[in-house]
Amino acid sequence: MKSADIQGLPRYAMTVPDALVELRGVERVFDKGAVAALRGVSLTVAAREFVSVMGPSGSGKSTLLHLIGALDTPSAGTVFVQGEDLRAKTDLAAFRARTIGFVFQAFHLLPTLTALENVQVPMFEMPWSRRERRQRAVDLLESVGLGDRLHHVPPTLSGGERQRVAIARSLANGPPLLLADEPTGNLDSEGATLVIDLLCAIHRERGMTVIVVTHDPIVAAAAERTFRMRDGRIVEDPVVAC
Amino acid sequence: MSLLSIVVKNLWRRPMRTVLTLAGIAIGISAVIALTTLAWGFEATWVNIYKARGADLVVTRITSRDPLPAPFPATAVADMARLKGVRGAAGVLSDLMSIEDAPTMLVAGWQPNTFIWDHLTLKQGRWLKDDLEKTVLLGEIAAELLHKSAGDRVQIDTEDFLVGGVFSSHALAENGAVLLPLGRLQVLTGRVGMVSFVNLSLDADATPDAIAALRRTIEGGPGRFKVFDANEIGQANIAVQAGKAMSLATSLIAVAIGAVGVMNTVLMSVFERVHEIGILLALGWRRSRIIRMIMLESLLLSLAGGVLGAAVGAAVLQVLQRLPMVHGRLEMSVGVAPLGVALLVSLVLGVLGGVYPAWRGAHMQPTAALRYE
Repeated sequence: MKSADIQGLPRYAMTVPDALVELRGVERVFDKGAVAALRGVSLTVAAREFVSVMGPSGSGKSTLLHLIGALDTPSAGTVFVQGEDLRAKTDLAAFRARTIGFVFQAFHLLPTLTALENVQVPMFEMPWSRRERRQRAVDLLESVGLGDRLHHVPPTLSGGERQRVAIARSLANGPPLLLADEPTGNLDSEGATLVIDLLCAIHRERGMTVIVVTHDPIVAAAAERTFRMRDGRIVEDPVVAC
Repeated sequence: MSLLSIVVKNLWRRPMRTVLTLAGIAIGISAVIALTTLAWGFEATWVNIYKARGADLVVTRITSRDPLPAPFPATAVADMARLKGVRGAAGVLSDLMSIEDAPTMLVAGWQPNTFIWDHLTLKQGRWLKDDLEKTVLLGEIAAELLHKSAGDRVQIDTEDFLVGGVFSSHALAENGAVLLPLGRLQVLTGRVGMVSFVNLSLDADATPDAIAALRRTIEGGPGRFKVFDANEIGQANIAVQAGKAMSLATSLIAVAIGAVGVMNTVLMSVFERVHEIGILLALGWRRSRIIRMIMLESLLLSLAGGVLGAAVGAAVLQVLQRLPMVHGRLEMSVGVAPLGVALLVSLVLGVLGGVYPAWRGAHMQPTAALRYE
């Protein structure tokens, strides 16, 4: 694969079929332009791809993920998901509920709810009955190996278990796209391995598109492609894992 | 799992704060119930006196708008008894007097052999025989307060009287009253030949038009009289109206304080959960659902406080009824209306207290909320 030019526009972009995610010249500035988190980023991610985004702290990785997940809006440029410009969407909450599954470094579970209840939280926006929500949550937790932890609250779970609950929660509404921001950042090696294996299984068995932001080369190695970022730019063409 | 279960868990993550807020609301609501019951009970007390006697109309001379109007010549009683449509007329002279060591009590002089005696039930002793005898009848609550029975002596003002009997009445205020013959009270108060009220009983077939005409005749006469029916007598009483106005004003203050308390608690709860609200937004919760969750917390808090306040208010009224200053003087049963007002006030508290916190919570930016520590 050839390297991208200095503007971060991958040359192979037009040849990637079925792009689930596409960014065109996306910029994001904060503090009235004093801080440029993203500087003209363009990339595409195909459906059912597993890609990682690597870079040092402050390179704009998390900002990139937030823009793709419609948690934030770009200062310039366009973000497309499933071929739709996110700026044109009037109901971003519904978009997030049905299209995006989030996994965060800090897990971000609700501390007063059990694992079973945490997994059901995203399902409130879906037209399912209480019984259907519960059964679906049970199935998801069993699929991540936590069938015996349904009624535990997060403070009583290990870091790895909490992240697995978060992964189960991210799958709650069957979204096509999973965004993981440093999913192993707060885990020991054993927990990290479990999480990486889960993400690979999700990609393989569910056919989901997975975008992982990480500074861990072991996590990046599990992906099919890796984008490198520095100072708000894509600095290299994606490295194909194999 | 439901939104309600999430709300309940949110409220119980800080149990002491929730309990204190509930207590604050309960105090405010109990004050609303006690004050409105007292104010409306004050009016009911007056109204029930005349209803119990069977007085269709009450004639008085309101000049200074005192609770006890100025007296006028008792000859007006006979004049009114002769009017068309009047079945019976009874003169009454009333005053508030101190009796031995008891607090001020209502002392009334009733015209003998008139219809206003018919509703009373004699519990001890005998009825009055003579318009000038130095004998009193005590309402059963008055007898209890004064620790007197039939045959005892009692001092009213500076004079000594025989307790001729003890009676009971359907009207609570009359059970706390002391009855003298009209003539004797006129002498005792230096108002010989005077009355302060005329109670009129009308013909059973009196039409509204006939009653209105009768009222016009009396009010248009030379005596500068004012005619009320039993319901109007309470509304005309300045003390009653002042009591209701004070009750309303105090209740509004209690509501305002309660709303601030609820808003403070809910707002603190929202600020503590900025991060969690960010998670909910990230997971796809609509802002409307966030609003619903926070408003539900506020409403649940207020309604629970309202129910607790209603129970406390009813208990406070039970205690107040037993105080010597109040016992036998005021109708104080908690009716549906004050409870309904309390429930409505609770709902208003919940809405007022939750609106701003709900708006703040729902308009957070997800990324900023997620970063919030």
